[in-house]
Amino acid sequence: MTAHDLVFVIVGLVTAVSAILVVTSRHLMHAALYLALTLTGIGGVFLVLGAGFIALVQVVVYVGAVAVLFLFGLMLTRAPIGREALDSQNRGLGLAVAGALFVLLAALIIPAFGGESTAEVTGPTIEAIGIAIFADWVLPFEVLSMLLLAALIGAILLARREAGESGTEAEVTRIEMGEALADEPDRHEAVGTSAPAGELGAGGGR
Amino acid sequence: MATTSPPGVGLLKGLAVTIKHVFSRPSTQMYPKERPDLPPRSRGVIALMEENCTVCMLCARECPDWCIYIDSHKETVPPAKEGGRARTRNVLDRFAIDFALCMYCGICVEVCPFDALWWSPEFEYSEYSMGLLLHEKDKLREWADTVPPPPPLEEGALPPAEVADAIEKAAKQRELAAAEEAEAAVQAEATTGAAAAPAAGKKAEPEIEVTAGQIDQETFDKLIAEGKSERIARSKAKAAWVKKEKARLKAEMEASGGGEAAAEAPAPKPAEVHVEAGQIDQETYDQLIAEGKTERMARAKAKAAYVKKEKARLRAEQAAAAATPAAGTPATAETAEAPAAEAPASGAPATDAAPASGAPAAKRLGDVHVEGTGEIDQETFDRLIAEGKSERIARSKAKAAWVKKRKQELLDQEGDA
Amino acid sequence: MIELTSASATAFVAQAVSVFDVGDGFVVPLLLKLVFILAMFFVVPILGGYLEHKVMGRMQDRRGPVEAGPFGSLQLVADGIKFIQKEDVIPRAADPWVFAMAPGVALVPVLLVLLVIPIGPGVFALDLELGLFYALAISSISTLGILMGGWASANKFSLLGGLRAAGQLIAYELPLILAAAAVALQAGTLSLVGIVEAQATFLIPGTDINLWYLFPQLLGFGIFFLAAMAELARPPFDMPIADSELVFGYMTEYTGIKFAMFLLTEYAGMIVMGGLIAVLYLGGWQLLPGVPLPGCEGAGGIFDCGWQGQLLGVAVTLGKMMLIVFLFVWARVTYPRLREDQLQRMAWLVLVPLALLNLAVITVAKVVF
Repeated sequence: MTAHDLVFVIVGLVTAVSAILVVTSRHLMHAALYLALTLTGIGGVFLVLGAGFIALVQVVVYVGAVAVLFLFGLMLTRAPIGREALDSQNRGLGLAVAGALFVLLAALIIPAFGGESTAEVTGPTIEAIGIAIFADWVLPFEVLSMLLLAALIGAILLARREAGESGTEAEVTRIEMGEALADEPDRHEAVGTSAPAGELGAGGGR
Repeated sequence: MATTSPPGVGLLKGLAVTIKHVFSRPSTQMYPKERPDLPPRSRGVIALMEENCTVCMLCARECPDWCIYIDSHKETVPPAKEGGRARTRNVLDRFAIDFALCMYCGICVEVCPFDALWWSPEFEYSEYSMGLLLHEKDKLREWADTVPPPPPLEEGALPPAEVADAIEKAAKQRELAAAEEAEAAVQAEATTGAAAAPAAGKKAEPEIEVTAGQIDQETFDKLIAEGKSERIARSKAKAAWVKKEKARLKAEMEASGGGEAAAEAPAPKPAEVHVEAGQIDQETYDQLIAEGKTERMARAKAKAAYVKKEKARLRAEQAAAAATPAAGTPATAETAEAPAAEAPASGAPATDAAPASGAPAAKRLGDVHVEGTGEIDQETFDRLIAEGKSERIARSKAKAAWVKKRKQELLDQEGDA
Repeated sequence: MIELTSASATAFVAQAVSVFDVGDGFVVPLLLKLVFILAMFFVVPILGGYLEHKVMGRMQDRRGPVEAGPFGSLQLVADGIKFIQKEDVIPRAADPWVFAMAPGVALVPVLLVLLVIPIGPGVFALDLELGLFYALAISSISTLGILMGGWASANKFSLLGGLRAAGQLIAYELPLILAAAAVALQAGTLSLVGIVEAQATFLIPGTDINLWYLFPQLLGFGIFFLAAMAELARPPFDMPIADSELVFGYMTEYTGIKFAMFLLTEYAGMIVMGGLIAVLYLGGWQLLPGVPLPGCEGAGGIFDCGWQGQLLGVAVTLGKMMLIVFLFVWARVTYPRLREDQLQRMAWLVLVPLALLNLAVITVAKVVF
């Protein structure tokens, strides 16, 4: 066992234990913090495997952004301190799904890469990654980024409608008032010439 | 905002302000290492000039938190004159201020009618025990040595009332001195037999003083009737009054024989001269002020000049007095002129007897009372500062030195006399 | 960890050799690097803190510290000793583990970033190929520590402060990374040593005038500077701390050594940001644009130096760091605190678009020239 293997085992153990704690912890914030630790641990695993760039991406995206957003959202909505019995009623189902997924992945990966040694494998350099993304695979990359952009815009739209229902209403009202102002002389005339009461009532009903 | 500057200029201006302050002198006072630069009216501690206290109890009564404790007893002072009435006097036994209670409002200092309480900027008298903050009168008296001189007056400001009084007094004294000189001269001339009466009379005439405000009603009415303005009428009426008065005095002078007037001629006793702190030589004072000297220095020098002049005058008088007795007894009409001129003049408000003429002939150092708390002996002060003493110590020692010198001066004068 | 993976580390460790790699051994260079990192972590922030105390004092017509050490230079050391002596209070309602770990989580990333910042010719612990990315990625973990501290204190002010900090750090990380990306683009490398070398050899197209990236990327420099100030949560961007409204935000409940750790995070963060700005925009240890250091031959006179050159290089970099710290302090003294909405507006509506524009312009220029 080399030092390399030792580090891999330590990092892997930390990651695995914290991953288990994410689902077993009865405290929401603790679970989120364990999730952050798990994600960092996965970054560490990438690093040990020689994929420095992926490791840093893992850290900056998942720890620096996703986990922080998780915590941010939790604190903004519900951030209980102290004991909280957070217990999902479908533990058994969760266990079954997770176990099945594990078996499936193991069944796929072990036959595929079972005999290979990782010691010789080194991650690609940053230049290789750059050329791969922006030359060889530029079309899928752009399509993917468009997809993400669309998702982003969609999310913003949804969030805004959700949050600003009163706001949209106010906007509608303003537009109608603008219309009313525009045809105000007409209305005066209409009043003068004894307009149909129904039309006025509809206008005033708003 | 009417004036709009391009965006960001305000931000840059802010930066300019802060960077400018980097290069300005910090206003930090390095207190425990250096004495803080306190203004002269700082309320540090209350000092007591015990000798000024009359136990009127005003301070103790006005004190909002009742932190002044005064004990006193009455003493009977024997009558000053034979057959007079014995008087009672309050004697201070205890005067204490509890600085643990004092809130430094300064009402006691304000209210004291005899300048017995003063603010001193000393503030380092904290104690480990609260009881030690009760300062008894000896301690309060020590603080009095640290009271700084009052700050100089502003340019062109009126002098304080007491100074103005002193100046006026000095002016009157000068007139009196001039009159005496004239008398001495006349007497001296009389001994030699020279007939100097008209000259002496002329000289004495202007000495007749007329208090302002008295007007000749007759003239006034006449002028008003003539349609003159009230101001003009008043001033002319005054002039008329003065004229009339002088005429009247002259007539009186002529009417009253010189007999008893000669006996009244004051035999000058140099030893009696008591120089008050407030007396200054106005001429010197004005000259120094004109030269741009500070008011304090000018006053000090003017005082010295006054003392000098006074001595000179006394010496002249002595010489005259030595000569007078020989010729004084045969009271001729001529020699009577001058004292006669003197006699009515003495009735005028300006020329009551010299203030010190009643002073006892011999004085010990302790008897000499020196007024003024602010003055310091500049020489001593400079020397101590040069020796590296702190400003506070130098000031208080210089004050003590000043008082000593002043007393010595007074004694010397008497000795001279 | 990185050193241990010697067999597979070629992708992660760039070619430039540190002065601390003496001999073939493993332990001696490691110890030397540890000493170097710790010195950078403890001594240089004290320098920066002293500068801040003094400059702030003088700008406010005070003297600043004068008692501890000559001219008060040991004031921060005295403060540190004081903090150690203080009682370590953990609020009863707090979550003790998270509360205790938060300062460490905030502090360690700053320590790790110092690993890659070069302060002289060969004077650095590691020259990673991904140095710039590493620095930005690792420093983003600090946010986590602040959030943890804010939440675990069981204090509404702390929670608000933590939330503000998280919102602010997320918002300003974007312009920071975009501005740094423009530099990486122009330099053609992510290695910090490589960026310094690229600046030393960068010539205005068509001439042979050497320039630092400050001049072609003035906009990027401004964005990076503002974003760095906001990342450090220093006035005028100190809403997470906001002592007048949040009574020190996420630090409210912290005392003693833990509080000192948060403070050290701030000061070390200033040094890290100063170092990054010096490396990215101010030509690293170059004395003046186009002026080689004495005794240096390689790459525009910034490599292969004698010891004089190395010392001078270190002094120059430290001087530039202190200049940046001075600018931070200057801004701190001059400007009042922004409002939270102004802060977010500035990040998303001003800095991010400008940073994108900067990136686009640099890209076009890079392709054209």
